Amino acid sequence: MFYDLNVPYSSSDAGLARTLNFSHELGYNVVALNYSIIGKLPNEIACAIPSPLPFKDLPSNLQVLTRCTLHLTETHQNARLLTLASHYDILALRPTDEKSLQLACSSLDCDIISLDLSIRHPFHFKHKMLMEAIKAGKKIEICYSQGMMGDSQARRNLIGNVSQIVRATRGRGLVISSEAKGAVGLRGPWDAVNLAAVWGLGQERGFEGVTKEARSAVVSAQLKRSGWRGTINVVYGGEKPAETVKTVVNEKGAAAAKQGMPTKAIMNGEVDAIAGTKRKAENEAAAGAVNGGEKLLSKTQMKKRAKLEKMAAEAKQKEQTEAVTTG
Amino acid sequence: MVRIKHRYLLLNILYPDEKTQNVHHTGPTSTEDVPYALQFRQPSPDALNAKLLARMVRDAVAELFGDYGSGMVSGSLIVKYFSPATSTAIIRVARAHYRLVWAALTFMINLPKPLNQPCVMQVVRVSGTIRKAEEEAIRRARLAIRKAHRVGGDGITMGGVADQTGAVNEDEAIDMEDGIEDLDDDDEMEDDEE
Repeated sequence: MFYDLNVPYSSSDAGLARTLNFSHELGYNVVALNYSIIGKLPNEIACAIPSPLPFKDLPSNLQVLTRCTLHLTETHQNARLLTLASHYDILALRPTDEKSLQLACSSLDCDIISLDLSIRHPFHFKHKMLMEAIKAGKKIEICYSQGMMGDSQARRNLIGNVSQIVRATRGRGLVISSEAKGAVGLRGPWDAVNLAAVWGLGQERGFEGVTKEARSAVVSAQLKRSGWRGTINVVYGGEKPAETVKTVVNEKGAAAAKQGMPTKAIMNGEVDAIAGTKRKAENEAAAGAVNGGEKLLSKTQMKKRAKLEKMAAEAKQKEQTEAVTTG
Repeated sequence: MVRIKHRYLLLNILYPDEKTQNVHHTGPTSTEDVPYALQFRQPSPDALNAKLLARMVRDAVAELFGDYGSGMVSGSLIVKYFSPATSTAIIRVARAHYRLVWAALTFMINLPKPLNQPCVMQVVRVSGTIRKAEEEAIRRARLAIRKAHRVGGDGITMGGVADQTGAVNEDEAIDMEDGIEDLDDDDEMEDDEE
């Protein structure tokens, strides 16, 4: 299974069907359509990618996911990241400066950190910073297409940035994807792996970048959206019983009668009066009915009373013995 | 004497652009209705031959890796086989530097000047012997024809290779889950190219 987690989407792009078909022809099995948001988040957040896609001739065994890339700037507020994430299969962040990269690596909750590799960044990628992100399950993305289609300057920057990222991450947690604007920018998965190998990423690591790591990004994103904190998910909750509360209470009453509880209370409709309360309260009420309305004592209170009684008895005995000796 | 070890890159040339039409369709299908699989794998133009391909590869290596790359590669780089009909080629290169040539092929986006067609080079097999590369080329051509028959229907007629009952799932057969490189057969098999 080969993954390409970045195929740009725009509603006016007529060649998208061709691009998707071409990526299938090259051997990819899963493709994520990427919708970029630059600047402020819109007021009404909704998935910009229609589902199903309005193309009739898509290959049947190509899985198409939706992905959103939010461009981060220093001044930007990102309070609604969770609502944005819930509308897409994958949420990626594109930091534009060192501070936002730091923020994306540490505190912001996302699946992929995707840097623009075709420009020169005025800072170094720090091992500590990137490893913090990778340990939290975020992936760092390498997009190769800009270097291919752009001028030699873009290519130079791409190669420089990729080798820096490979150095900083020691090759761990990297995802290789295309970000191809058209079908011409796409390359086969093995070609991408070789390219990464030339740039300093090992063959095995590169292969994982289009298969295992990309899959783990997709699966963990899916888990985050469906389960509870990505750990527990209800697969099948069972069916709810069809009986009403009333009948359940009556059954309980019958059970209580069997256990030798006071039948008088049940006859008087005492149990019906306590319907809907907890079992402890129910027992208490039943016991209260026996004791003639006195509240049932808690264990500590009973102990306390017993102790007091004991002390009183002891004191009395002492008095008596003293009286005997003096007498 | 120790012989020089080589790698043979089997590559397909794909034409992703919709304006590229190197073949004229006859029959009921108009050019818009040609399935994508056939559009991408169309024959190469006649002007493209082994010599031109070799020059293209040399230029690409020189562009990407400069004098160092072209110097390293120039001694061993040869286009062993090129078939314009299936857009398939086999390129031989010294084992130490095959990644340079592969990367240069990946960076190609256009056929050169007089042709000017957008193209994508996909390396589908890296082999230590030319025989393995040939076998793979034949296998792939067979699968491609079967696929063309399936998706193209009656509009495309190809002579004599029709094997409609073949129960192979083409997509799975083309997949290369275990890697595309034969790295082990270099020493075992008799290499009569030297």
